[in-house]
Amino acid sequence: MAECPDGLLVEACRLDKVYGEGEAATHALKDVSFDLCAGEFAAIVGQSGSGKSTLLNLLGLLDSPTRGTVRYHDTDAEALSKPERAQLRNGLIGFVFQAHYLLPEFSVYENVAMPAFIGRTLGEGGTRSRVEETLSMLGLEGMSGKNANELSGGQKQRVAIARALMNRPSIVLADEPTGNLDTVNTNLVYKLFRQINKETGTAFLIVTHDRSIAERTERILEISDGTLVQDLRTSEVIGR
Amino acid sequence: MLPLRIAWRFLRSSPVQSALIVAGIAVGIATQIFVGSIIVSLQNSLLETTIGSAAHVTIQAIKQSDPVRYTPEMQHTLNSDPRVKSGTVAPIRSVSALYSNGSDSASLGLLGGDLKQLEGIYKLKARTVSGHASIGSGEIMLGKDFADKFGIKAGDTISLKFPNNQTGSFSVSGIFDLGAAQFNLRNAFVTGAVPQNVLGWSNDQFTQIQLQLNRPYDSVKIADQWSQQFPGVSVTEWQGQNKSLLAGLISQAVSSYMIQGFVLVAIALGIASTLAIAAVQKTRQIGILKAMGLADGPAGQVFLWQAAILGVAGSLGGIVASFGLLGLFRLAPTSFTITMQPGFVAVSALIGVGVALLSSIIPTRRTSRLDPIEVIQNG
Repeated sequence: MAECPDGLLVEACRLDKVYGEGEAATHALKDVSFDLCAGEFAAIVGQSGSGKSTLLNLLGLLDSPTRGTVRYHDTDAEALSKPERAQLRNGLIGFVFQAHYLLPEFSVYENVAMPAFIGRTLGEGGTRSRVEETLSMLGLEGMSGKNANELSGGQKQRVAIARALMNRPSIVLADEPTGNLDTVNTNLVYKLFRQINKETGTAFLIVTHDRSIAERTERILEISDGTLVQDLRTSEVIGR
Repeated sequence: MLPLRIAWRFLRSSPVQSALIVAGIAVGIATQIFVGSIIVSLQNSLLETTIGSAAHVTIQAIKQSDPVRYTPEMQHTLNSDPRVKSGTVAPIRSVSALYSNGSDSASLGLLGGDLKQLEGIYKLKARTVSGHASIGSGEIMLGKDFADKFGIKAGDTISLKFPNNQTGSFSVSGIFDLGAAQFNLRNAFVTGAVPQNVLGWSNDQFTQIQLQLNRPYDSVKIADQWSQQFPGVSVTEWQGQNKSLLAGLISQAVSSYMIQGFVLVAIALGIASTLAIAAVQKTRQIGILKAMGLADGPAGQVFLWQAAILGVAGSLGGIVASFGLLGLFRLAPTSFTITMQPGFVAVSALIGVGVALLSSIIPTRRTSRLDPIEVIQNG
């Protein structure tokens, strides 16, 4: 077990994920185990189809492993009912995807506030001040009244990040979050991730196929053919 | 109420689609109210014409020429039964008479009773077309067709010959029109004492006890019950004597229900297909909401709320449209008046909402079961 100064956040224990049955079965993940500390800033790298998104879905409680367990703060997610998993996801996990997946029917304010609406954790006043604080953190002041469709690509992705941070999750799981962005916006997003990680202590686990981006994190988990083949601190990678 | 909020936004994001489905429901509900109201009004009109001025239940002796004894027990039973329309119990004595004007003659059935009691059934005051409604001693009210045939007017005096060869002279107080030519031609109203004297009956002996019911269609059950309660008398009711009319009314009602049923099925299919399309269109949004922690139940409720909003809006629109349709219909010359029953309108609106909710079952279940990974993996 890893030594975590701020405590252990996630334990992935012997995760297997098999799609299909019999001869058509595909082993997407094989016996993957690792721990993630609270406040850690890590990346998962691997070739396309290596199983990194599958791993992220399991860690995000969007999917269940065929074998093995995912534990958050000592809670076995597999032992929870679907509504309990949804509640845990809402409170502990923020998602950022390659596509921004903003809801075009809602304003920027409502998009960002949506996790709080779902979780019903904050009152109306609390939600408003939290949205303003989060938008300000991401340099989106004055955007709350706009519709999601009125924003640029970079702005949309920052709104998506604001939404992921709305409930002050313990971890943000980001799946190729800059895949659709240009270099300027890519750099901006990673700087934001790092800044938020340092300021709020939110852990980040970023899936990317781009090794140079992964090297900006503190830890790299490499997946190949569904197997965790390397788990290195970035300083070790750069040292090599 | 996050599912309601999301549902409302989804509907607002596709205004044309939402407006079309509301219009579809409104047309369906308007049709249902319009057709239903016409059929009910037509049936009521037919019933009123047929039995509005006739007995719903008649009690008489088994042998028709014998009198029925109107005992205190029978009086109490009939007058205190809440199913009997108030003020419509009329004991009647009838006797036939012959009218002759020298060149022509006709048989006339004299219905003798108390005007106040007869009024409850025959509504003579409202149906007097000439003279006035009065059957005091020496007075007679003739039917319009009889009076026309023999050129008799209110205020004239006529002479009648009875089966016991007695004759009587009567002043025509009024001419009535009950809307049935045969009745107008063959019947006249006199005071009860006239037939009583001819027949030589006592004060509690009558030819028939006629009455009307608050709910005419209860007549079979009530007649059956009284037959058992009063042995030795014959209790007949209007449905047994108007089987053809009844069959026509039932056929009309069945066809009306079929039309309304098909309209409801059309509404249901329309809403179901539109909501199914909407569910597919909004799959991505629902998937993302689920990834953020929206549970299956509330996710499914989104389309339930959409259906409820569409159903309520469509039903209200349908009610307004049905008022318009009935207003237009009233401009056309018809033999009956259309009235909208508030209860029927409310039930139609509730059915509209209910059908809309039922139509949302498939998209609701589909949304509940949606796996957010499908959306995320497929972009």
